[in-house]
Amino acid sequence: MSLRNLIIAVALAIALAAGAFVAIRMQAPTAPVTALVLPTPNPVPEFSLLNQQGEAVDQRVFEGQWDLVFFGFTHCPDVCPTTLQVLAAAKKSLADSGRETLPRIVLVSVDPERDTPELLGKYVDYFGQGNLGLTGTLEEIRKLTGGLGIFFEKRPGDDENYNVDHSAAVLVIDPNGGFHSLFSGPHVADNYVHDLPLIMGGK
Amino acid sequence: MRLAILLLAALLVACTAPQPPVAVSDVEITKPMPGMHMSAGFLTITNRTDETLRITSVDSPQFESVEIHETTVTDGISRMRELDELLVPANGSATLERGGKHLMLMRPRNLEDSVTLQFYSGGSPVLSVEFSFSSQDKTNEG
Repeated sequence: MSLRNLIIAVALAIALAAGAFVAIRMQAPTAPVTALVLPTPNPVPEFSLLNQQGEAVDQRVFEGQWDLVFFGFTHCPDVCPTTLQVLAAAKKSLADSGRETLPRIVLVSVDPERDTPELLGKYVDYFGQGNLGLTGTLEEIRKLTGGLGIFFEKRPGDDENYNVDHSAAVLVIDPNGGFHSLFSGPHVADNYVHDLPLIMGGK
Repeated sequence: MRLAILLLAALLVACTAPQPPVAVSDVEITKPMPGMHMSAGFLTITNRTDETLRITSVDSPQFESVEIHETTVTDGISRMRELDELLVPANGSATLERGGKHLMLMRPRNLEDSVTLQFYSGGSPVLSVEFSFSSQDKTNEG
């Protein structure tokens, strides 16, 4: 091999290596950026609540699909609808991009005094089909929230007009009913669109 | 020549029509969701005067009660509180937006397509404005 050919060969090798390096760097990222993934999924605690049809359900309601679970209440005009809109927008975006594995959106009421199954049903249906609303007794709600590290507290107020402070996080529950990961907010649809396929896998 | 100057002056006056001292823009108010008796209002208030504007109350013929609220998220906990007043700085503006301050509109009555808001400062009316309700499809809001 002449010196000239050697130089060309070395230059080609360098170009190939650089190309490969750029290609690897440009590959789809493999880890969630916004979501915090638990080292091992944590089984959802046992509870007994009502879905929006008024049917009794327990922790097994979280089995069989990926769930995005938010804790809020229907008399919350700002954070709750905004969060549910973000989750609905992210789900729609994933569906539009052709993904078949889509999460269900779940609202667990932290205000069972006002949130009847019927009212909760109207509320979650407003944000799309297939959403789940859970309400019930304060004691049973606390079983679920307590086991998941979710805080809520009713604030003093007059009869109809009071607020409930509550954790702003969205939890991801895996199809085995395990608390898998969480988004702590502020909630942005693009973050969910990026992270959920990596969390859920599948197509 | 004199006529030309007069015309020019008239034109200048016409071009600099006074802007209202207080104005409301970027309004987003949706009708209450099905089954609900409340909604939130988001908007920007601009104060073109040289004095701080204190909005102490808001009312509306379409709602029994309107309050100024603020949502805060600290240590992962979302809280909502009523504010006594909304301060709009001199030659500045105050923005009511998602996840922050907002109007809490409660107990609607005879809702049609528009809503009127009346802003008060210490009992004195400041501004009354009428808006159409926003479209409810806001699924791309961050």
